[in-house]
Amino acid sequence: MSQIAIDKPTADPSSNVPPKRKKRDIPYSMRVQGWDALWIVLFLAPFVLLYGGFTLWPLIATVMYSFYDWNGVGPLTDYVGLQNYIEIAESPSFWNAFFNTLVFATVNTIIKLPLSLFIAVLLTQRWMWAKRIWRTVFFAPLVIPVALAGLMFDFLLNTRGALNDVLLNLGILERPIDFLGTPDTALVTLILISVWQIFGQYMIYWMAALQNVPETVYEAADMDGANGWQKLIYVTLPMIRPVAVIILFLSFVNALKVFGLVAATTEGGPGQSTYVVSYFIYNQAFRDLPFRYGYASAAAVLFGVTVLLAVSAQGYFVRKVGQEGN
Amino acid sequence: MAQQAREPRIGFLRRYFRSGRYFWLNLTLLVILLVVSFFWLYPFLWVIFSSLKTQRDMFTSGARLLPDEVWEWGNYNRAWTEANFNVYFMNTVIYASAATAIEVVKSSMCGYVLARYRFFGRRFLYGIILATLFIPIASIIIPQFNLVRSLGLLNTRFGVILALSGGAGALYVLLFTSFFSTIPEELFDSAKIDGAGFLQTFLLVLPLARPIIGTVVIFQFMSTWNEFNIPLVFTLSRPELRNLAVGMYAFQGEYSVDWTGFAAGTAMSIIPVLLVFFIFQGYFVRGLQGAVKQ
Repeated sequence: MSQIAIDKPTADPSSNVPPKRKKRDIPYSMRVQGWDALWIVLFLAPFVLLYGGFTLWPLIATVMYSFYDWNGVGPLTDYVGLQNYIEIAESPSFWNAFFNTLVFATVNTIIKLPLSLFIAVLLTQRWMWAKRIWRTVFFAPLVIPVALAGLMFDFLLNTRGALNDVLLNLGILERPIDFLGTPDTALVTLILISVWQIFGQYMIYWMAALQNVPETVYEAADMDGANGWQKLIYVTLPMIRPVAVIILFLSFVNALKVFGLVAATTEGGPGQSTYVVSYFIYNQAFRDLPFRYGYASAAAVLFGVTVLLAVSAQGYFVRKVGQEGN
Repeated sequence: MAQQAREPRIGFLRRYFRSGRYFWLNLTLLVILLVVSFFWLYPFLWVIFSSLKTQRDMFTSGARLLPDEVWEWGNYNRAWTEANFNVYFMNTVIYASAATAIEVVKSSMCGYVLARYRFFGRRFLYGIILATLFIPIASIIIPQFNLVRSLGLLNTRFGVILALSGGAGALYVLLFTSFFSTIPEELFDSAKIDGAGFLQTFLLVLPLARPIIGTVVIFQFMSTWNEFNIPLVFTLSRPELRNLAVGMYAFQGEYSVDWTGFAAGTAMSIIPVLLVFFIFQGYFVRGLQGAVKQ
């Protein structure tokens, strides 16, 4: 009797571990038959071609260009080996841009994710009033082109702008501050503007994650007598942890690509206090004469590889700690 | 029976006014959120009201919103014609609609095949698409620029559209893939038994993916409408091909005095995207919801 009871769960087809699928077990509808092969090629072609051309190839080409001295015109002939990398590694303005970009992405993520999670939790509560309106409000800044948002804040935050007007009238400031024109405040200001801009997107990500937690889990928690707060801490947050890791990475990687905002407001200044890597690349490749594609590419690769290593090391340690915790 | 049919309406009212348990909490939050959203939306209000001010008024008004003298509707006129705003506007509409349409078609087709068929290289393709989402290279615009140039499409509308729709899409394919793999196999089996061909089956299940399509339309339309880097670099020598973001940016450089015209232009450029969001927002969260599951 007990033997049967023990055996039963493993025989249950709905158990968590799916049986390993052999080739002939592929469902009828998923098998490729007759003309299907041609259709599959046809269906994949548009995406694969465009993706190959505009995402994969550029990644490979960037690595390739980085070994050449090249101004963007004519064939790649001047192979210089690691020369570009050596020059980059010795360039203080690159490392400054590197550091600024990391600070930008890190602080941006640290401010943005918890706040947007908080708002998302609030806006998915059933008892909450007028959720649609608030959702639209927090989403709204996303619809302003980032370059225009930059110009707008340029105006709002200068010495005669609205913010200084308010702060002076309230007596908080004695003299106006040019928030984007002062080295000490420029980067922080940019970070806050970009949080404001992108907030809605991450709020939507969190809302999607939160609404995916099955209702039955909450019912079970209700039966155990959990209150709203306990449900959030002990049920919701652990349930969305896998998605949270993805959101965290997306946020960080996307923040590293900051360009339009910097181009529209500070152009890297004052001095080099808001100089970021993508703006450095743009300057080297398209603005400062002579154009140096190879050099700019080396900057892109060096930055990408360093960050990737740092992030994967971090991911590795986080996972390790997580496993030990269990 | 009749009483049950009326039930939802009573439930709706009850939710707002009779649930005393959350009444005061809601009221408190309402006040807080009203204050927060005033500051949150202040830049919008500022732009809209500035577009109705005179130059002098705009520079002296500080944080005040309402125009003090006359309401200057002429700003819109000036931005629309003198600043080439009409040209930029049409370009942006063309870029954003074309890139969004291409994106929906190609990523739904690719996602469908990835979800439904087991073929050689499937896992590899899926893995590559996933991996490139997380590659932190700050800029790949140089090779993109070279590719478009070697295709002879530099400084053409088609070149910009190609780059806009080619660079994005990894996330969208993953959304479609995970959606299509939630459709029960039995549906495909019976379609196959009924004699539906490949294309017929695809067109049969595509409408089911409406939430994903809505999500892709919103995200892609928004990002191409706002795109700055690609149109900037790809139309450097043809100003008449600029989109709104680049055009307005240049506008500020060329006519640095005309800030109210700039505000009017910005206000006009916001409206279409807000419309897209309002139309598709119902699908939006649902679409992402299905996708996160995998």
